[in-house]
Amino acid sequence: MLDINTKKLIKNAYRVTKDRGFTALRVRVPGGSLDVRYFDIIKRIAEEYGSGRVHITTRQGFEIPGIPMVKIAEINEIMAPLLAGMESAIGVEINDLNGGYPAAGTRNVSACIGNSVCPFANFNTTELARKIEKVIYPNDFHVKIAVTGCPNDCIKAHMQDIGVIGMVLPEYDPDRCIGCEACMKNCRKVASGALSMVNYKVKRDHQRCLGCGECILKCPASAWTRGDRYYRLVIMGRTGKKNPRIARTFMEWVGEDAVLKVIANMYAYIDKYIDRTLPKEHVGYIVDRTGLPVFCREVLLDVDTGSMGKVAGFIPFGGYVYERSSY
Amino acid sequence: MNNAYLPFKAAITGVMPQTASDYTYRLATDLDVRPGQFMEVSIPGVGEAPISVSDFGSGWIEMTIRNVGRLTGVIHELKPGGHFFIRGPYGHGFPLEEFTGRDLIIAAGGTGLAPVKSILSRHCSGQGRLKSLTLLAGFKTPSDMLFKDEISAWREKIDVQITVDKIDENSSPWDGSTGLITGLITKVPVQNPGNTRVIIVGPPVMMKFSALEFLKRDIARENIWVSFERKMCCGLGKCGHCKIDDTYVCLEGPVFNYTRAEELID
Amino acid sequence: MGVYIKNNSFDQLLTELSRDYIITAPVKLPGKGAFSDTPLVTYREIRGAGEIEFNEKSRFSPKEIIYPITQTLFYFTENEYSRPAVPDQGIIIFCRACDVHAFRRLDEIFLRNGGCEDIYFAELRKKVKFFVMECRESFENCFCVSMGTNRLEDYDVMLRVSGDAQECDARGDFAGIFTGYGEAVEMIPRFVEENHTKVTVPENIDRQVFKHPLWEEYSSRCIACGHCTVSCPTCTCFTMQDIFYEDNPKCGERRRVWASCMIDGFTSMVGGHGFRNEKGDRMRFKVMHKIYDFRKRFGYNMCVGCGRCDDVCPEYISFANCINRVNTIASGVSAHE
Repeated sequence: MLDINTKKLIKNAYRVTKDRGFTALRVRVPGGSLDVRYFDIIKRIAEEYGSGRVHITTRQGFEIPGIPMVKIAEINEIMAPLLAGMESAIGVEINDLNGGYPAAGTRNVSACIGNSVCPFANFNTTELARKIEKVIYPNDFHVKIAVTGCPNDCIKAHMQDIGVIGMVLPEYDPDRCIGCEACMKNCRKVASGALSMVNYKVKRDHQRCLGCGECILKCPASAWTRGDRYYRLVIMGRTGKKNPRIARTFMEWVGEDAVLKVIANMYAYIDKYIDRTLPKEHVGYIVDRTGLPVFCREVLLDVDTGSMGKVAGFIPFGGYVYERSSY
Repeated sequence: MNNAYLPFKAAITGVMPQTASDYTYRLATDLDVRPGQFMEVSIPGVGEAPISVSDFGSGWIEMTIRNVGRLTGVIHELKPGGHFFIRGPYGHGFPLEEFTGRDLIIAAGGTGLAPVKSILSRHCSGQGRLKSLTLLAGFKTPSDMLFKDEISAWREKIDVQITVDKIDENSSPWDGSTGLITGLITKVPVQNPGNTRVIIVGPPVMMKFSALEFLKRDIARENIWVSFERKMCCGLGKCGHCKIDDTYVCLEGPVFNYTRAEELID
Repeated sequence: MGVYIKNNSFDQLLTELSRDYIITAPVKLPGKGAFSDTPLVTYREIRGAGEIEFNEKSRFSPKEIIYPITQTLFYFTENEYSRPAVPDQGIIIFCRACDVHAFRRLDEIFLRNGGCEDIYFAELRKKVKFFVMECRESFENCFCVSMGTNRLEDYDVMLRVSGDAQECDARGDFAGIFTGYGEAVEMIPRFVEENHTKVTVPENIDRQVFKHPLWEEYSSRCIACGHCTVSCPTCTCFTMQDIFYEDNPKCGERRRVWASCMIDGFTSMVGGHGFRNEKGDRMRFKVMHKIYDFRKRFGYNMCVGCGRCDDVCPEYISFANCINRVNTIASGVSAHE
């Protein structure tokens, strides 16, 4: 005689599966970086309660399937050290560590490996993902956020509601430049062709510059060095049945505080405009209803975009709808 | 302290077009030059490049300059009464004393004729002390032929054989031979190989194969001289561009005896 | 003259010296490394002793202090040209023993090769005073012992970090100045006597080695980025550049800028012809210059074994290992003769 409140089960980060009576637990790994000691907990739950396997999710979490629904309380207690280490330790407020995840709508904040390993990354993506996690979790609103170290966008920030892309302002010392043109040729080949040679020295077109930092990496003489760090925010990318599309740039050359503030504001915007008659409403579709100007007004509230910051005045969202009559 | 990079202004007293893209400039200067030496030629703000001296006399030098780039493009706009800047001369020229009483054969490819022109003009005006002089010259097409008037005059005095790679539709009428200069070398009369000296000047590939042909004609390696063209930014042994092994072309060259030249691996 | 100087006094000493000298030293610039959140250790003019990086090898060598990467030779207007001013002060360079040896190589090219003195180099060179930082132990990739550049007789001041003080051996005019800032001690310079990296430079290199298939491997590995030559303390090559100012096209300058035999265009002449199109040939050209042809011309090797080329190569090509490979091949070739 199973009597399960599935609404509570789902908010507890478990899910209703095709096997009646069995659930799957989704483990959050903010920033995609996990101390291996937590493998012991995941392993124990999978071996003792689940099918002995885990699924690695696209959002860089773990999903442990084959768990009897009746074991949820027991498993939540086993999960306590992981919650403490992965959530409380980074400032996420969790009232009952023995009660499992307090929310599941807002998905794990995923991140590329970032500058702890990758030479291209312009910042430590794990650290920013954790700061974002602190701002947005626990929360039931259906939002996907990812963080990536450079415009290569290995994490697919362009598939998220909010994608954060690391930028660096390259600083150029013409006296150190040997005119090898490595930066210019490379920018033309792999980035945006923002560099040109004038009088044997390099000119950077800021309008074209992606802030990827490739010029700095290529320079043999450190004529290009790292200036201030910035971020580009791409918004409202999504997959799904309704009008899938890639995210577009909302703001760029902004600082970390602006990024965190826009994200916090977006949750307030959702709270204000969400259609509560629906079981859930994904943020992208709220923006479709309210229109972008309302979204912009709400999320830019008290945001300091800084002297370099640029905000899109208009976003030509594309994507497509499944228009079957077109065949 | 003397600033070796400082160029001086040289007035242009004559401009003699050779082809559509090669002009000979006569400059008023008292420089003491040897055949085969070069100058660093410049226009401030535009650039500086090494150019070989094609002829010289009392109070003047001539350089034949092909319009191939930014600097030479600007030079080609200049008229008599104008000026550009020069410094030099640099490098060692041809060892003329080695050629006294010898049968000298000059093989020149394209603009390679310029650095040896002064040897030809001196001999043909009776100033040289050579036993005999033969000129073998190759050009891409008849229109690329340099020093046409001079060549006509030289023909009166010495054996001159010209070949062109091809005759194209724009070419002036051509009744000479076609084909590579190596074809001329296989047939050129060599009366006494031991008394013959050879100068080869032209593109690297032309010099390489011409030298091999002369070797087949029993000319000794040590009796062949070549002149190298390399990128040079100073002419002073500082900039490093022209170095090959431990040899600086600007200092020890551009003229090398073949025994040395064949050892130089770029 | 040995002097023991506490760090705060040493700082005051530098303040006194800065009246007559431009003081340059390796400094550590946080966040200025090519990779994010990494530092760059490079040369700068310093204001205080605290800025000096004593514990790490600089990415770039001190040669740029007197042989700038970009150096204007002439400024010109419509009717005249002028030379940039040369500073009145002397120049103090904090550096390592190998770096001082490297300056001797630069002297060979700029002051003696071709029998003419390069005025731009010469005027700054004669101002230089070497404050040599003792290497307590070899840094990564150093092979100074193999190249015989670990020891140094010719310095102005030798410095040894000793807790919160400097032990100095000051010579010439500096002896008197230094004495006023500390107490006399015996200071006998110590040098690195062993490196982890060791090379054997072959005495003779047959032309066969120039044509050996060894170099072909570098054609596929090297990317011709030039990092090795830009960080090298002994590379001297430069290219001339003439420019008109964008905002005043009647005025301009002629300048020289470091060139690299590893980078495309080093041998290209107008009209398009060039030499050493294969990167392996460029590697051969560079290696031979550093360990063979410079020696043929001047009597000693150009390479000083600082290992910076190996530190900075993004493709993990080891110059030191290449020397050893050349040695193996060269001894094989001579053994066959």
